[in-house]
Amino acid sequence: MTEDARRQRVPGWTWPILLVGALGIAVLLDGALAPDRLEVANPDRGAADGLATAFEALPEGALVLVAMDPDLGTYPEIRPAVRAALDALRSRGAAIAVVSLTTEGRAIAAAEIARLRSLGASADRLLDLGYVAGAEAGLVLSVTDLAPAEGEAFPASFATARRGIAAFDLALVVGGVDLGPRTWVEQVGTRLPDLPLAAIVPSFRHPEVAPYLRSGQLVALLGTARDGAAYASASAHANGLPSATGLLVGLLIALAVMLRAAWGPRQPDIGGATRNAEKAA
Amino acid sequence: MSGFFGSDAAGSAATWVAALATLGVWSYAVGGGRIFRAAQFLLAGLATGYLAVLAVREVLVPSLVEPLIVDPTGEPVLWLGLLLATALVAGRWLPPVVPAVPVALLVAATAAFALGGSVVGTLLPQLGASVLVPAAGPADLLNAALSATVTVLVLFAFLHGTRRGRISGAAMGAGRWLMLAGLGGWLGFLLFSRLTVLLERIAFLLGDWLGIA
Repeated sequence: MTEDARRQRVPGWTWPILLVGALGIAVLLDGALAPDRLEVANPDRGAADGLATAFEALPEGALVLVAMDPDLGTYPEIRPAVRAALDALRSRGAAIAVVSLTTEGRAIAAAEIARLRSLGASADRLLDLGYVAGAEAGLVLSVTDLAPAEGEAFPASFATARRGIAAFDLALVVGGVDLGPRTWVEQVGTRLPDLPLAAIVPSFRHPEVAPYLRSGQLVALLGTARDGAAYASASAHANGLPSATGLLVGLLIALAVMLRAAWGPRQPDIGGATRNAEKAA
Repeated sequence: MSGFFGSDAAGSAATWVAALATLGVWSYAVGGGRIFRAAQFLLAGLATGYLAVLAVREVLVPSLVEPLIVDPTGEPVLWLGLLLATALVAGRWLPPVVPAVPVALLVAATAAFALGGSVVGTLLPQLGASVLVPAAGPADLLNAALSATVTVLVLFAFLHGTRRGRISGAAMGAGRWLMLAGLGGWLGFLLFSRLTVLLERIAFLLGDWLGIA
């Protein structure tokens, strides 16, 4: 049977349904297949311990600025780690102020602030700094000038925050969109070199942000789902972690698709376009 | 599981809306183009509406309109801001050069901050972190040698229109494959990220919506 005939026999919409079905079964069976052997959390807890160490270094009643600018599409990947970090800060008695530089981030920040307030976070421990317009320019302005959202007054515990980001003991940047940890390192880190910057980003941002951790411009980084899971696994948000069985099944399917693409009936000519362009030149 | 929706009627309604929107987006994979387009329009409309409300409530009113009403002479620069904002909003009915002024200011300021930040915050510190110190150990030396080799080979891959010998041709090929390996690594991160998100949606449908997981 030719490849075209086989494609006509199996409708194209079959594969997405099979994929979702396989992942759904994996999610339902999660924990039943290999409960003691399969887990998402990275056994190397270096990244998770790095964030915990950064929090432990905070003084009593520290002011912590949380920059919420994740991407709507990938926020679910880092949500358990972000919530575990917020819980850790609250349990240490830190005063948390939340700011956003993007509308996407502002929408997520508003939802998280509402969730925290419904859990009992008081106004003198949780401050909404709202949306700062102007991208990089707005961020630079915030270094020396911040204001609460919608004209609220600064609570007593945040009195020094009117001096801007400079008044904070730590900035935790939740990234995902372009205005993320890199922008904070470039615009805030260069102006406030003594301010510790920590970051939580989804996996696809990890290669971009990891060099800043190695150069010391970030004090801590949770940059993959595995590191996020390692950090959140001991928290109340462990049930929000991705299904380990589902990830295994999904990656095996992805591997099968890649192998078929490489050695299947129609092999892609990797680099062929470039070579043809060179020959034409 | 998302923690955003409660168990009351509003929470249930939100869960149903989220579940139906998820299925609407997925319908694209099985030929439901119209439902998918409707979901796209919904997202675009909501995002635009949200941006407009946010700009008015959290930027224009508290930072521009209110200060001008309370104290019109307090900060004269705000009048300039109002003028530029008006030029942008009414640009459709003005000569093209008028809205070009605020747009040029926006682009210039963004480029200036981004370029300056890239040099001072990324390029120089990363170069500094890569410089070998006199007390570098064997691991650091090996790391530096590998970095230099990879950098040179990738640079070779960008050599076009030059005569190539056996060695330079091999170096160009190696550089191209190294770039592809880097791209593959990044796509691996992307795949893992998207797979995690897909699993979260499936878990949401099975758990929060259907209540079977």
